[in-house]
Amino acid sequence: MRSGYFKQDFDALVALTDSRVVKFWVAALLVALVGLPWLANAYLLSHMTVILFTLVAVLGLNVLTGFTGLISLGHVAFLMLGAYGYAIAVTRFGWHPLLAMGFAGAVPAIAGLVVGIPSLRLKGLYLAITTLAFSFIVSALVLAGGKFTGASRGIMVERPAIFGISLNDDKALYGFCLLLAVLTLLITLNIRRTRLGRAFVAIRDNDIAARAMGINLWRYKLVAFVISAFITGVGGALMAIYVNFVTVEGFPFLLSIEALAIIVVGGLGSVLGVVLGTVFIVSLPEIVSALFSTLGGGYAEVLTTSAHEIKSMLYGLAIIAFLRLDPRGLLGVWHDIRHTWVHWPLRY
Amino acid sequence: MRYLMELVMSGLVIGAIYGLIAMAFSVIYKATGIVNFAQGEVGMLIAYLSWSFSTTFGTGGFGVIAFAVVAGVVLGLLIERLVMRPMLGEPVFSVVLVTIGLAVVLRSLVLLIWGASPHKLDVDAADAVLRFAEVGVRTSQLAVIAVLIVALLAVWAFFQRSRFGVAMRAVAADEKTARLMGVSTAQVQAVAWAASSVLAGLAGVFFAVIYNLSPTIFALGLKAFPATVLGGLDAVIGSGASGLFIGVAENLVGGYVSSTVKEVAGFLLILVVLMVRPFGLFGEREIERV
Repeated sequence: MRSGYFKQDFDALVALTDSRVVKFWVAALLVALVGLPWLANAYLLSHMTVILFTLVAVLGLNVLTGFTGLISLGHVAFLMLGAYGYAIAVTRFGWHPLLAMGFAGAVPAIAGLVVGIPSLRLKGLYLAITTLAFSFIVSALVLAGGKFTGASRGIMVERPAIFGISLNDDKALYGFCLLLAVLTLLITLNIRRTRLGRAFVAIRDNDIAARAMGINLWRYKLVAFVISAFITGVGGALMAIYVNFVTVEGFPFLLSIEALAIIVVGGLGSVLGVVLGTVFIVSLPEIVSALFSTLGGGYAEVLTTSAHEIKSMLYGLAIIAFLRLDPRGLLGVWHDIRHTWVHWPLRY
Repeated sequence: MRYLMELVMSGLVIGAIYGLIAMAFSVIYKATGIVNFAQGEVGMLIAYLSWSFSTTFGTGGFGVIAFAVVAGVVLGLLIERLVMRPMLGEPVFSVVLVTIGLAVVLRSLVLLIWGASPHKLDVDAADAVLRFAEVGVRTSQLAVIAVLIVALLAVWAFFQRSRFGVAMRAVAADEKTARLMGVSTAQVQAVAWAASSVLAGLAGVFFAVIYNLSPTIFALGLKAFPATVLGGLDAVIGSGASGLFIGVAENLVGGYVSSTVKEVAGFLLILVVLMVRPFGLFGEREIERV
């Protein structure tokens, strides 16, 4: 007779979830997300699209910083390479959009290899500074690229038609982003529970111990760089399609910080945390502007004149507040809520 | 020849500013083991405060500098007490992220209060031109180089001779042992933040006097990274001196190669240096024991 809840094989142990409740709610969420275009207004739909492509890009950073523990301050460079890779493949080479999406991932991946190799010798903060240097060098290269990269003028990107469905329709674009976001989520979740992901986490937790256990630091760090850059590049391509336009100014250093903020606020190293963090950080300016407009009068005016400053200040404050008060991030808050919900009125 | 001399001279000037900020970075790194990504923003905030001071209380050169020093001490202590002290003992990654958050907050704060339009920080006699052979130099430009040299000497004397400097080195070398010997880590951290804010503040003020004061000064912090890394994050004197080197190198590249490369010359240089010596030119090699 079973006297407890045991996992009897390895598959059960690494399964994404064994809970029927979780499966049900995930399915419900998916149905809701698929049905959203027919229910939501244009504003909400475009906001959701932003959340989805941000999610793709940040999941990429999460592979590097969250899983492998390598801090990157230059991820905006991969995002930019992805966006430019897509734009150039479509406008200059005249490639098929899907092929261009692949190219948008491949270019940053190769760049990731290029940054990754010198970074193998570096640790912690030196690595962070190298990635920062890399992002400046990439924007300088794009600016110096002349007609090919559009230099400071940028490149117009028309929304493509994929399998006969034109992404000019906001609903179709939303669907496309949703598809890629779900795919990326599945990919990162599965990376986490394979040998690759466990090696990444081992490197993050203690690289010397990982090495002693036979993990090739060289290879796995490089693989982390490449995967991370690829995913972020695809996010960049989606961003380019959404904005219709790529320029160097569209990829400020602040985006690297925003991505880090999402990871930290969500909860370091967790895919669910990234989802929560993305929804929170992307929605934060909207929530605050709604708050300010209900306060009315002078506040609303301050917000419209200096929206950008207030927005970036909120990122900063959110990062500081979460690190200071609850380093587990939104994931921790979510666990607390779930815990209380399950056990109420008992404390545990 | 004259072109070269002028490039070198203006390179030394911007290099002295980089050097001051690089020293600010490494003072904090040496004492606490973190990189303060808000260094440029701290310098910018002090420069703006000094601008407000000079427009209300007059533009005497020494007055403005004295104010910048005081503002640096106060701001450094405030940031340390309010933001950094509660993070003592947290993982390095979290603490560094807090400074990044702080950077973003300070940047927007400056934009909110002073607006985006550039100002000129006027200081008496700053624009008087002295001539050496063929090259004209403004007094403010000479002053910033002098300040860097004074700062280098003062920091050297502080770390070698003063009791507190030795305590700071002890904390940097081995925090646990230093604490057992009765050194207060919190106090060391407070002094480091105050000192680094003063250095960054001076750099900000001089930049505002020599060039102009705009909310993009924070980028000085990023531009001074190459100097810090070149010298080694934990080598205060080395960072200060390599500031001069980076400044001159950048200007020569800008003068003879192209202005786009100038922007990233420093970063290209550190990529090469880090490849050869991953701990900077003068930094201490970290030996890891398991």
